[in-house]
Amino acid sequence: MSDDHGHNVNYLLIFIFLCFCTLASAICDVLPIPKLAIMVLVLGIATAKALLVMLNFMHLRFEGRWKYVLLAPTTILAIGLPLALMPDVGLHYYMVDVPQAEAVITQHTDHDADEHGANEPAAPGKQDH
Amino acid sequence: MSNTQTAPTVKMGIPIPNSKLGMWLFLGTEIMFFTAFIGSYIVLRLGSDGWPTDPEVTHIRVWAGALNTFVLLSSSYLVVVAHEAMGKHDFKKALKYLCGTFVLACVFLGVKSVEYYGKFQHDILPGNIAETDEQAMLKANSEISGVLTIRLNALVSGDEQKEIKRSALVTEITELKASGEKTDRLAQLNTYIALETSAKALDDAVLAETISLHDYEEKLTAMKANESYGGFLSAKNLVGFPVVHDPHPIVYGNLFASIYFIMTGFHALHIVIGMILFALVIKERERLNEGWSEWVENCGLYWHFVDLVWIFLFPLLYII
Repeated sequence: MSDDHGHNVNYLLIFIFLCFCTLASAICDVLPIPKLAIMVLVLGIATAKALLVMLNFMHLRFEGRWKYVLLAPTTILAIGLPLALMPDVGLHYYMVDVPQAEAVITQHTDHDADEHGANEPAAPGKQDH
Repeated sequence: MSNTQTAPTVKMGIPIPNSKLGMWLFLGTEIMFFTAFIGSYIVLRLGSDGWPTDPEVTHIRVWAGALNTFVLLSSSYLVVVAHEAMGKHDFKKALKYLCGTFVLACVFLGVKSVEYYGKFQHDILPGNIAETDEQAMLKANSEISGVLTIRLNALVSGDEQKEIKRSALVTEITELKASGEKTDRLAQLNTYIALETSAKALDDAVLAETISLHDYEEKLTAMKANESYGGFLSAKNLVGFPVVHDPHPIVYGNLFASIYFIMTGFHALHIVIGMILFALVIKERERLNEGWSEWVENCGLYWHFVDLVWIFLFPLLYII
């Protein structure tokens, strides 16, 4: 068994602080400040909360140096992934007005022309959808 | 020279139990798993000007996210005090805290279900969201067409094709008119034809690109207010979802919905797995003993990680 028991940590105090942080994040949403400032604030609060949970609830504060051996490679890969994706996906290369919409309209037009001849009484054009 | 073996003075390897090492290695893979989603989301969002953020459009409720954050933090606190109680051999107290954690996990899933219900109700689902005016009108037309099909099947029984059923319906109208009787049946059939005619006019206008979304919305509202057939269009299905949604395009709506569901869905799956792990301890009841201490510790590590993921999902999905 590990030596995690008996640490003198006031878990209740940490929990209350985490709750206040959550409240602060929710309040940030309605603050009349620029969007970028809100983003920085809430992500900063989230990082602080995550550190509190990792250090105290997950006991990383009290663990030996093995934690660096285990977590450093993961962290490097985790940070590297979005950075590697950034040039490919982050560039706004695709259109909002997607070509599928045009294709759907064309299909409907052709379908209606085939299905409803000139002598056909009035009927909805896309009943098969 | 002696061959006597003595105990090594230095213990090799990482000084933690194997199960805990295994859990940390697993959590390492989990970090990469969720970072792939979160990283992709951030990158996609940065590359998509006009990403939907208005709560009236996305139906994202900050209060629900904040409530779930509070619920998960509370459950994390209960797990850590349960582990502490296990260390002090107070297994009764530990069991109580573990039960509390399980209940809070159920509350989390309950709140998430309410949120998911809202998404389904407004059809904010991957692949279902219109991103342009044309798509919004085509989607509404398609839904009206669905209503017409349901009405036609209700009026004309049998397994025949739609066209055959419709011909039968027109023939019946002609016969009833010829008989001179003004029956309820004739009124129902005429209502169908009236709805069909209005739908066809809308359909043609959209296909001919002679109608704006604003005009379309006005016409659809008028159709929904129609005394004879409006009820069919403004009706809701068995689970309370509207049969014809208001035509509101959401730019990047499908990407948003995909990301929302994949991230919150996988997180919810982790919650369910955590509940199973806790249930295995809770079922021990009075038999809970020191032997379960490592299990509780490892489950706790897993649960705190699930909490950590939500700590980042909350601001990323609900606030920014």
